[in-house]
Amino acid sequence: MMANSGTLALTAWLLPAFSFLVLAIVFPLRRLGRPAAWFSVLCAAGAFASAVMAWRIQSVAAHPVHLVWPWLPSGGKTIADVGVLVDAQSTIMLCLVSLVALLVQFYSLGYLHDEPAPAFGRYYAYQSLFAFSMMGLALAPNLLQLFMCWELVGLCSYLLIGFWYQRPSAARAAVKAFWITKAGDVGMLVGIVMLFRAAGTFDITELHSLAATNALPLAGLSIITFCLYLGAMGKSAQFPFHVWLPDAMEGPTPVSALIHAATMVTAGVYLLVRTDFLFALTPNVLLVVAWIGAFTALLAAVLACVQDDIKRVLAYSTVSQLGYMMTAIGAGVASAGFLHLLTHGLFKALLFLGAGAIIHAVGSNDLPNMGGLARRMPQTATVFIVGTLSLAGIPIFGGYVSKEEILGAVWGAHLTGPFLLLMLVAGLTAFYMFRVVFLAFFGAPAPAAQVTHAHAAHASHAHGVHATTAGTAARVAHTDLHNETVVEGAHVNETPHAHEPPATMLLPLWVLAIGTMAVGVYTTFGGRVLLDPAGAPTAEGAPGWLTPSAVGVAAAGILLAWATYQTRTINPVTLANAFGPIRAAALRKFWIDDVFEGLYGIVLLGFSRIVGWIDRYLVDGVLNVLSDWTVQAGDELRGIQTGKPQDYVYGIGAGVLVLILLMRLVF
Amino acid sequence: MIEQLTFAALSIVLVGSALAVVLSKNLFHAVLWLALALTGTAGVFLMLDAEFLAAVQLLLYAGGIITIVVFAIVVTERLVGERITQTNMRIGGGALVAAVMLGFIVNVLRKSLLPATRPEMPGDLTRVLGQAVLTRYVLPFELLAVLMLVGMLGAIYFARPED
Amino acid sequence: MGLQPYLILSAVIFCIGLFGVTTRRNTIGILLGIELMMNAVNINLVAFARYTANAAGMVFTVFTICITVTEAALGLAIVILLFRVRRTVMADHLDLLKG
Repeated sequence: MMANSGTLALTAWLLPAFSFLVLAIVFPLRRLGRPAAWFSVLCAAGAFASAVMAWRIQSVAAHPVHLVWPWLPSGGKTIADVGVLVDAQSTIMLCLVSLVALLVQFYSLGYLHDEPAPAFGRYYAYQSLFAFSMMGLALAPNLLQLFMCWELVGLCSYLLIGFWYQRPSAARAAVKAFWITKAGDVGMLVGIVMLFRAAGTFDITELHSLAATNALPLAGLSIITFCLYLGAMGKSAQFPFHVWLPDAMEGPTPVSALIHAATMVTAGVYLLVRTDFLFALTPNVLLVVAWIGAFTALLAAVLACVQDDIKRVLAYSTVSQLGYMMTAIGAGVASAGFLHLLTHGLFKALLFLGAGAIIHAVGSNDLPNMGGLARRMPQTATVFIVGTLSLAGIPIFGGYVSKEEILGAVWGAHLTGPFLLLMLVAGLTAFYMFRVVFLAFFGAPAPAAQVTHAHAAHASHAHGVHATTAGTAARVAHTDLHNETVVEGAHVNETPHAHEPPATMLLPLWVLAIGTMAVGVYTTFGGRVLLDPAGAPTAEGAPGWLTPSAVGVAAAGILLAWATYQTRTINPVTLANAFGPIRAAALRKFWIDDVFEGLYGIVLLGFSRIVGWIDRYLVDGVLNVLSDWTVQAGDELRGIQTGKPQDYVYGIGAGVLVLILLMRLVF
Repeated sequence: MIEQLTFAALSIVLVGSALAVVLSKNLFHAVLWLALALTGTAGVFLMLDAEFLAAVQLLLYAGGIITIVVFAIVVTERLVGERITQTNMRIGGGALVAAVMLGFIVNVLRKSLLPATRPEMPGDLTRVLGQAVLTRYVLPFELLAVLMLVGMLGAIYFARPED
Repeated sequence: MGLQPYLILSAVIFCIGLFGVTTRRNTIGILLGIELMMNAVNINLVAFARYTANAAGMVFTVFTICITVTEAALGLAIVILLFRVRRTVMADHLDLLKG
């Protein structure tokens, strides 16, 4: 019996939910640690299997499958359903999410194996909840379920970033992420509600048919799509809401791989892809999307060039690539952005997990503390370089075709400004990624005294402005005399003790590397159907000089990095000083964070102070005055009880008379 | 004619002495005015052909009560050792309450149907009274005796000398 | 002559007695006021008895007179006792019930 793709998708969605519920409720199991982890991994594996089966069925199916139940009744009919919408896009997204979730959970078995058992179990409960939420978002048939899962995903991000909540920097980062994405979410909710008022439905398929038949009122649609884009800006870290993503590296590296590379941050892109028919009706908003996307890409690429923390480089790289995807959507070719989402999900997760292996081995996030790791960790080096080449957009490797498509789409939409920005970013991307490669894997190993060996997984540390300023003082990496490592429970060894990570960590790395290569080869040689049945390859629209120039720019970036960091023909310090003021500003993250802090302090805290004053002096004041009056009145009225019976007789007499008078007059 | 005149005179005496009771500054004088009022009441009883009650009134009230009140004043006066002066308090309020109450009652009385002539007396009222007390109302009569005994005991107990 | 004048007379005496009860400072003065009120009631009863040819009113009067006498005796005993304990008969000073 051929199972329905709808039920398969539903199974894939609900298995992590089941895992979460079990782990949340049956707390003895959760407190045991490793059994909870294996339970969650098994559910994730089941989810992935279902997702793949659903995809296989749906990729040859003619129509999407709606498997929904009525959910919100209103005025006699149901205004929203809950369930799954299974079409080509959602099944592919489902596969990506479930694959990366499974690999990350498996990887965490090794990476976090030093965690105490209750925390370990808690981690896997959160991972299951996240998998459930993200899949729910991908499969959402209507905007309301999408929004719910959107919020849940944000919650899981908060929980997982702040997983080591005893660390103040982690707690702050989690709250920051939550705040900033929440700001975008408010806009999104407003947009959803306004859309409902205009269209009368939340359902995506219905909205699509309404848009296709021109039944949607165009007035005010720009505001609606812009509001929806606001939510995407928050989640997908577009300027100026990108500030939370680098700080989110406080969380464990597998979390960064899952949430801040492959899945949650791509939710914004996914939303825009799902609703691209709406945005197609509002080209001016699309223009804004494109420009902001391109600008974000450039900004993040510049910031990535000056980071010394390997995770931060990758975080800014993610922001930059998200900018690429948004620009593609802004150019009107959402399928290009979606393809890049898929390939990026694979190789960025690979890069993050590889970085996790490095951190696990070296005991620190800092590039100055790494060097010559290729000799000691050949497998890690191999997969990491595969990921880097994919990110740089070299042919045959994963990200090549998707990047070309984006550039072609932007050129085809005659967005010259964004196009130039994106080309520059391509070069910068190659440069900073290969800087990481050369600094970490090649060259001389870091001196012994600075390398601390820590098997402890708490190897990520607060790396705000402080470390980067100190790192720039020693811009030349391998003679770093400042040890900025703040690792808990680390032991300083005499010899560098880097080694390959354990099998639980290596296996996901190889799976992802092979996956990236497979996708790269498949797409380079023309295959697209499996990944995007609806989209047409835009190769025919792109000018002939596009591909060579893009690859050339990337190659130039690689060459520059090789010259600077490998052969040392160009002095890094000279190169750095050549960009003096830009570099200085980049080290301050262009003061964007300061602006936010200032706004927060002045506007929000100021407002809070005003409200507090009103509460204390006006509201409480009124209440206090009333209560004082009551007490005073009571004191005065107490005087009636004189204690003299004569007065009571008088009172009775007077009272009776009043009663009689009342009766005579009223009745 | 004679009846009305007698009634008018008695009323004046009654009301006047009642007012004096409540407004007199000297308590002893007030008691004496009360004696006059009680006597006036006995006169009213006589006008209503209730001779027995008039006699009882004079004996018990004008005789008994006045006596014990005087005794009480004497007892409390001597120990205080000062002149008994008294004032009233809350005259305005009290007057108002009393006046409104009076107005109300009079209002009701004016509106109601009251017999205007006296019916014939069924013989001697005293005899009728005596018979009623000892036949129909014998139980309250006996209980009254018990009550008065109890009251007497109580009064003696209250006023016993301190030991 | 009619019943009404007697009733009005009784009402007047009653209200004067009420005035005395609520106004007098001395406890014995209050008791005098109570006596006046009782008297008024008696007049009322007897008048009604006479004008409705019902002897019950007069019987009731006898009873009330007896009870009033008892009550007055007891009241005065209490006043004397009070005087012994509190050394005062002024009603203003008897305010232990004061709230």
